[in-house]
Amino acid sequence: MSLRTHQASTLIGIITTAFTLTSFGTFLLLYHNVHNLIGRVQQNIQIIVYPKDDIQPQMLQDLKQVIQADPAIESLTLTSKKDALNDFKHQFPDEAYLLEGLGESPFPASLVLNLANTIPSTDRVSNLVNRLQQNPHVERVRYNRDWIERLTLIITYMEIGALIIGGVLALASITIIANTVQLAFYTRQEEIEILRLIGGTNLFISIPYMIEGAVIGGLGSGIALSFLRGGFELFQHKIHTLNVIGGFSSVFEFFPLSFSLLLIIGGILLGCVGTFTSMYGWMRFRL
Amino acid sequence: MPPSHLLKGDPAHPPRVDRMIQLFHVTKYYEGCLALSDISVRIEKGECVLLTGPSGAGKTTLLKLIFGSEHPDDGQILVQNRNIARLRRADVPYHRRTMGFVLQDFKLLPHRNVFENVALPLIIRGLSSFESRRKVIEALRAVGMEHKQTTQASVLSAGEQQRACIARAIVNSPIILLADEPTGNLDPHLTMEIAELFKAINARGTTVMMATHNQQVVEQLNGRILRLDSGHLLSDQGASA
Repeated sequence: MSLRTHQASTLIGIITTAFTLTSFGTFLLLYHNVHNLIGRVQQNIQIIVYPKDDIQPQMLQDLKQVIQADPAIESLTLTSKKDALNDFKHQFPDEAYLLEGLGESPFPASLVLNLANTIPSTDRVSNLVNRLQQNPHVERVRYNRDWIERLTLIITYMEIGALIIGGVLALASITIIANTVQLAFYTRQEEIEILRLIGGTNLFISIPYMIEGAVIGGLGSGIALSFLRGGFELFQHKIHTLNVIGGFSSVFEFFPLSFSLLLIIGGILLGCVGTFTSMYGWMRFRL
Repeated sequence: MPPSHLLKGDPAHPPRVDRMIQLFHVTKYYEGCLALSDISVRIEKGECVLLTGPSGAGKTTLLKLIFGSEHPDDGQILVQNRNIARLRRADVPYHRRTMGFVLQDFKLLPHRNVFENVALPLIIRGLSSFESRRKVIEALRAVGMEHKQTTQASVLSAGEQQRACIARAIVNSPIILLADEPTGNLDPHLTMEIAELFKAINARGTTVMMATHNQQVVEQLNGRILRLDSGHLLSDQGASA
């Protein structure tokens, strides 16, 4: 009745759970990191707002405040006409003489907007741009529509793909683990028969097996998490050593602690539910 | 049908406590095949009843019905004046705790020692370890297995395994002891030993009901004989008046 008396089936249960959850976890880790990577790219999406040339400094400040209040905006940088001129001189020192004698800076002031860290959509960006263009102090708004559309499409396909693959993998994992727990349960049928013979109630009989299922699920998911962590560290080490993707290597990260705990709790629940359904499916037809 | 006071517990007609098992027109089918047909029997407290008959006669079915493992398709079964046919699923384990059951194939936990196997019914009842110990030793002494209490069940001989099973069946001091071919796997010498044990248990006042093929056992126990064939009760020899 203890885990020790059925070492072989318990061990098989733990190993199967560990390998199944490692496969599912690998997919989740990949998805998590690709999602992070897209988030980084998304942060680079910029919308440039050019205010009217004759806008007063106070009105420019008011415009800045109005735009900043929009929840779709993460951050905003104001570049005045003078700053724009200085930037040009700094970037193209050889051509700076071209602007001499013009007096006032010929460059327009601009507001560079960074989008909030949410999944961009073409509609959302278009709505934002429309809102900005309707402002009477705005001359024009410039953004890379094609790039945003392409990114939105990539994200949509990725989400759909992840949902399908993730769903299939999750279903496969649940089926494999439930069957493993069921097999472990079948090796204990004789014990259960004996306990019923001497007047054991269903609750009395079930509790040790549920605990056993929880231990199998918990240990299996714990081992899977260790495999994933080890594999992830090895992958990061290789990337640093080979320097294959340069600056992007810092983008990769392991699951946050809360998600790791969730994975272990999921394993425990799977073990418990698998045992529960096996037992009650079997006991239902027996008095 | 049984008298209504037996089914409803009418206080004006208190049930007779000496009536241990009563079957009223019990019929049982297994997937359309008749296993027991219109069986009516009354077994008194302290009786030793032997169910005999060829394989498929319905002996095991009868024991299972009394034990609560099966429900009759027709008729009523009263065990200690409790209607088993109407027993709720959740009450079945509590009904089983009032009786002991010995099977042909022993049914011991192989990885547990004799003491642990015999103590199981007491653990289920939630008895203190001190009380459990006392009762287990007592039961093991009754079957002559006191010296084997630390031996793992899997290394016991067939006779010893059956003795351990009998100890487990009587450790709760049941008023009824059911046995389904308890000597079926034993040689003639061990068969006689086990039969002698059942005789001793019955002599202490426990109602014994045993299904057996073995004529030696029938002769040695010298009890009431219910002869079954194809689900029908053919004869009832030695019934108390």
